[in-house]
Amino acid sequence: MSAEVLSVPREPDAFDRFGERLADRINPIVVKEVRQGLRTRVFWIFFSLMLVACLFISLFAFAASDGIADRAGQATFIAYFVCLGFVQFFVIPYAAYRSMSREAEDETWVLLTLTGIGPRRILAGKLGSSVLQGTLYASAATPFLLFSYFLNGIDLPTIIVGVVVSMGYQVFLVSVSVSLATLAESRLVRALLHFVLLGILLQGLGFGIAGAALIGEFAQKVTSSSAFWLTSLCVLFGMVTTGLLLFEAAAARLSLATEDYARGARMVYVVQFLGAAALFLWGWQLSGEAEVLTAGSVTLSVYATLVGLFVGSDRDGMAKLHWVTGGRYSLLKPGGLRGYLLVVTLLLFVAAVFFGLALTEGTLPMGAMLVLVAAPGFALLMLSLPLVIARWIPHPPWQTPAMIRLVFLGLVVLMTGVPPLIGEIVSDADDLFLNALNPIVGLINIERQSHDALPLVLLVWGVAAGLAASAFFSLRARDTEWLA
Amino acid sequence: MSALLEVKGLSRFYGSLKAVDDITFSLPEGTILGFIGPNGAGKSTTMRIIATLDVPTSGEVLLEGKSLVARPDQARPLLGYMPDRYGTYDDMTVFEFLDFFARAYRLRGNERKARVDSVMDFAGLLPLKDKLTSELSKGMKQRVALGRTLLHDPRLLILDEPADGLDPRARIELRELLRALASQGKAVLISSHILTELSEICDTCAIIEQGHLLATGTVQEVLSRTSNAAAFSEVELTLFAPGGAGLEEIGKKAERLLLEQPLVTNVTVLNHAVRFRLELAAGQTPSSGWVEEASVRVLKVLVNAELPVTSFRTREHDLEDAFMSVTKGRVQ
Repeated sequence: MSAEVLSVPREPDAFDRFGERLADRINPIVVKEVRQGLRTRVFWIFFSLMLVACLFISLFAFAASDGIADRAGQATFIAYFVCLGFVQFFVIPYAAYRSMSREAEDETWVLLTLTGIGPRRILAGKLGSSVLQGTLYASAATPFLLFSYFLNGIDLPTIIVGVVVSMGYQVFLVSVSVSLATLAESRLVRALLHFVLLGILLQGLGFGIAGAALIGEFAQKVTSSSAFWLTSLCVLFGMVTTGLLLFEAAAARLSLATEDYARGARMVYVVQFLGAAALFLWGWQLSGEAEVLTAGSVTLSVYATLVGLFVGSDRDGMAKLHWVTGGRYSLLKPGGLRGYLLVVTLLLFVAAVFFGLALTEGTLPMGAMLVLVAAPGFALLMLSLPLVIARWIPHPPWQTPAMIRLVFLGLVVLMTGVPPLIGEIVSDADDLFLNALNPIVGLINIERQSHDALPLVLLVWGVAAGLAASAFFSLRARDTEWLA
Repeated sequence: MSALLEVKGLSRFYGSLKAVDDITFSLPEGTILGFIGPNGAGKSTTMRIIATLDVPTSGEVLLEGKSLVARPDQARPLLGYMPDRYGTYDDMTVFEFLDFFARAYRLRGNERKARVDSVMDFAGLLPLKDKLTSELSKGMKQRVALGRTLLHDPRLLILDEPADGLDPRARIELRELLRALASQGKAVLISSHILTELSEICDTCAIIEQGHLLATGTVQEVLSRTSNAAAFSEVELTLFAPGGAGLEEIGKKAERLLLEQPLVTNVTVLNHAVRFRLELAAGQTPSSGWVEEASVRVLKVLVNAELPVTSFRTREHDLEDAFMSVTKGRVQ
């Protein structure tokens, strides 16, 4: 056979044609990322290392299986999981971060956006390709994980649950990584974020492996308990909705100024907030303890403050034409005022529901009831105050989102740290009136000294209402100025 | 010719900074418009707004008569944007890169293959289709980027500094590619610092400084307008000395005589050639034909002094002169 004959390309067969059609249908970013990913040395090095490590673990487990009898399967499962987890929870999310930050650095995402592909599909493509790469690793590790079943000590459903949950956890960590990559606007921030990400991923790896160990250890013993399922559902709900929120926030950051970037992120926030409230109500129903409502009120108030800082300081960068079409109070559209109102409305609604239920049941102690009521007041106060301060100072840098968040941090330090210091000198560190507006010591005082605390709760709500009104008018004035 | 692109009263302010201030121009199909201005003049901002990457503070941009500010999603399929950074993926081959973007533009199956092949053929990339983009020269990378811009067959091309950093051969090749695209009916908006290049490529030009449009029209219109308004003109004359004998002396005499004449500045003598500048004093308004009148006067003096002048010509006003005469070198 001559060399010329050898060089003639093979005619595409049915399988090739199917592959072509499939590649035509799926997100082009997935095709690109997989092409690029499989070409990298990192992929093949870690793939080989994982296989070699799993092989050694298998040989060791097989040789030692007589000595450790029925516990061998569980220990081997965790050992395999460490190998797979390192790749899934560290290498792949880190590679996704690098890929996304390169896209931002080289400004290729701008070119991608112009194709009409949109930031959501770009990010979905990154996530999809990470899942595909994770599946490749997992499929290589699955025979080893099954081998641990034959060594006894772990059942098949636990192994399957472990693999499935790990895939979900990997998607969550990739979402975190990709979102962080969209924050890097300057070289300094990029360098800082790089370290932050490494820290997050190392911690995430630790949680992932610990989670696998817990699943291996306790899954069979506690699956019949409803508390186990509630906890699992809460963790899963938190992971999925936070991952989605980060995803939507990243998509919003990548959106062009000509697009409505806020809708997705705000929708997810609404679902997450109401879903979390529903889970607290379920927990209250299951346990029959009204304190769960207080815990829910405090947790959701803290969360609303943190999210509110981001949406309330949103700059109105999008095209005025789109801005105007939505009306001033279309809460899912971009803009600080709309974001602020969305967060406050949700918080007040959920707080009112919790308060009503606690009041109806009538078993909640006075202290816990006052905390339930005071927590949203503190949230409103802490959220509104930085917005008002930023507006008072007539220099534009003070009104940037970053500065508003810095003001918030400063206020947290001042309001939680200074009153106890003065109290220490004057009377007690936890003095009731000095700490009246202290969001931490104040709440603790309200719970401990409930008989004297009603005026304090009223004071907190009075100040919060005043500041909320001021923040509302400030943000509305900013909108008007911007539109002029 | 109907205007494919119309920019009307476009402004873009960043706080108190007026990056673009009330500029108006239009671009018919099959035409190449050169966007000229110093760094920070507002060229890239204008181009980014036209490319739907930014929004104007006020004003309107119409593409095929429809507002691209109001409906950027409808405008994007009609325009191709090439930023000053090429934006290629280093670990992809030329074919993979173009194929990926063709997929992103929702081209499917055989249509995609045909389009990628046609673009590679047009841009002369077929021999390089299996090469990694990281292995390409700057000129070739730029062709790949141009190829990417053409994949969805846009009607308007926006090219920000495409000739920047290219060697002379690559520049000439780019010029030919752009001419070919214009002959296909595409409108091209191109910015560059290399003004000689632009004058050869462009049909029309727009000069911008500090966000203001200073001159716009066909290249000939802008040249004639600015040459009439120019306050200086370069002149070159040649002296004859048989066998070079006494050339130095003749040159010195010419220099002395020239420097005695009003409006003459910057005299340099190099062998047979003498170059000088006719320049109006600060505050003097150029009148029509002042260069010709001054030239006649100077030539008369030289001939009367029996200097052996064999040629005398004022250098033709080009885009560079036009640019220099209307701009003041201010940046924001």
